[in-house]
Amino acid sequence: MSVQYVPTVADLNEIVEQVWASYLDPEGVNPLIPVESAADASDIHASVSITGSWHGHVVVACSNAAGKLAAAAFLAMEPEEVTEADLIDVLGELANIVGGNVKSMLPAGCFVSLPHVVSAPAQANHWPAAVQVCELAGLWSGESIAFSMWQSRELTGEAAA
Amino acid sequence: MTLSAADFAFVSALVRRESSIVLGPGKEYLVEARLIPVARQTGAASVAEFLAAIQRHPDPVGQSRIVDALTTNETSWFRDQDPFTALTTQVLPELIANRAANRHIRVWSAACSSGQEPYSLAIALRETLPAGWTYEILGTDISGEMIERAERGEFSQVEVNRGLPVQKLVHNFERVGAHWRVMPALRRTVTFQRMNLTAPLPALPPFDVIFLRNVLIYFDVETKRSVLRSMGRLLRPDGWLFLGAAETTIGVDDNYERVVAGRTSAYRLRAAVPVGTAGKG
Amino acid sequence: MHAIVIDDSRAMRLILRRILGQLGFDVVEAEDGQAALNVLEGMEQKPDLALVDWNMPNMNGLEFVTAARDNPQLREMTLVMVTTESEQSQIVRALAAGAHEYVIKPFTSGAMVEKLALLGLVPSGASL
Ligand SMILES: C[S@@+](CC[C@H](N)C(=O)[O-])C[C@H]1O[C@@H](n2cnc3c(N)ncnc32)[C@H](O)[C@@H]1O
Repeated sequence: MSVQYVPTVADLNEIVEQVWASYLDPEGVNPLIPVESAADASDIHASVSITGSWHGHVVVACSNAAGKLAAAAFLAMEPEEVTEADLIDVLGELANIVGGNVKSMLPAGCFVSLPHVVSAPAQANHWPAAVQVCELAGLWSGESIAFSMWQSRELTGEAAA
Repeated sequence: MTLSAADFAFVSALVRRESSIVLGPGKEYLVEARLIPVARQTGAASVAEFLAAIQRHPDPVGQSRIVDALTTNETSWFRDQDPFTALTTQVLPELIANRAANRHIRVWSAACSSGQEPYSLAIALRETLPAGWTYEILGTDISGEMIERAERGEFSQVEVNRGLPVQKLVHNFERVGAHWRVMPALRRTVTFQRMNLTAPLPALPPFDVIFLRNVLIYFDVETKRSVLRSMGRLLRPDGWLFLGAAETTIGVDDNYERVVAGRTSAYRLRAAVPVGTAGKG
Repeated sequence: MHAIVIDDSRAMRLILRRILGQLGFDVVEAEDGQAALNVLEGMEQKPDLALVDWNMPNMNGLEFVTAARDNPQLREMTLVMVTTESEQSQIVRALAAGAHEYVIKPFTSGAMVEKLALLGLVPSGASL
């Protein structure tokens, strides 16, 4: 059996940089500045699940304000004009783009689900059966956003065996 | 926190000396913006502090970082399309008729940035040349960082989106992690070398085609003239020179004449030997 | 020129609509493949271009491309996948199904314009 390639934080970082260059900061003046941890990036969670030869989730978590900024940038509107529906749509698409790119680095035959977006309180763990494999946390215009990958436990065990 | 006049003068003199790129008045903002990340990398608190340090203790690494930061590396695959269409539909068929003896084509991508231009040329030649023909492509650039990237032959998703037809992507690249890597068979046909076009050029066997695109625009007219003249010596008498859409030899160097090439123009040496009697080079 | 943008994300439809609008296209939208087929069915003049996401509910982009290829009325329409699906094998599948070009998300507006120029749908060298 060949060793499975599991995307690293460097891969996440590269995808995220491309998202910024394409949609969130096309002028290159307002990058995501990496920080150790983004504890307050927990108002909204958008995720996609990956199944197939790898099982897990790719999550975009952020503060409400960061979410509004992102939606405003995508939709070319002012943050104050952003509605709940806009937030859900944009963060879902962000999760889809990051998750889809992660999936493309995994061994062939993985599938990515449609995005799922929830408003969640801090520290809520949505996948008790999954462990975090990497996280990229950052500040954007002073607001917290974090991207993370979670691998389902059964398969972690199997891979180690 | 804009740049002082003295700091700006220091940077523009340095960049001019090292690359001949002219940073005229009004470029202060550009200089400052491009140097912020460089200053940060060195641990300096500001661009002013970084420049003060480097003026006190000149250091070649810091200097070449400044030059790198101020050159524009913007590029894409098959940039502007028309020159590449002209190459495959007009230039190569003519060269194929003229080079039947040695069946080999040499192409130079001068100022190749991160490699999209020389690899695009390689793809075009590979698809166009008949069986039994060989080609080689030289990619050169003043920036060591660009040459390193071009040699690696790996491009991000965003980079492969830019102008590369999808059929050519799947035929000539393989996916590695987040990147696309040029296939070895293609990679082997391109060599890279760091080269300053405004310094005396090394002795090289002459080329059939030279792409010198989107770099002359950064030079003053004297520098343009001397670059065109020295590169003319490395172009075969019946060879072709392609410039960027905003560049021309007209009014700069009369040794070239502009000729129609497909939907664009190319440049050829005026004293061109009639087709068929070209020297062996 | 007319175009249809097929994506389940409203934000993505808006981004694409903006780019196409600036290039002078008239744009209609659909949120999945089936909705797109329904819209197209009712259109007198079929669009010159379809930008098609892959992962969508109801009918995905690959199924849409296959259906569009099989429909003589849509034969002239240029099909461009715009998706995060970016494994070589997936791209090859989409091309085999009939897609003409492929843009990987995320993309810059410049990259989109360059792809459309490759297809001859906007003049080469066009920019926003
Ligand atoms: C805008 S890019 C053009 C790349 C490519 N030829 C194209 O048309 O897409 C300009 C390149 O010229 C290089 N350059 C600038 N001054 C140079 C010099 N004096 N000698 C060689 N290369 C130089 C820069 O490093 C940069 O990569």
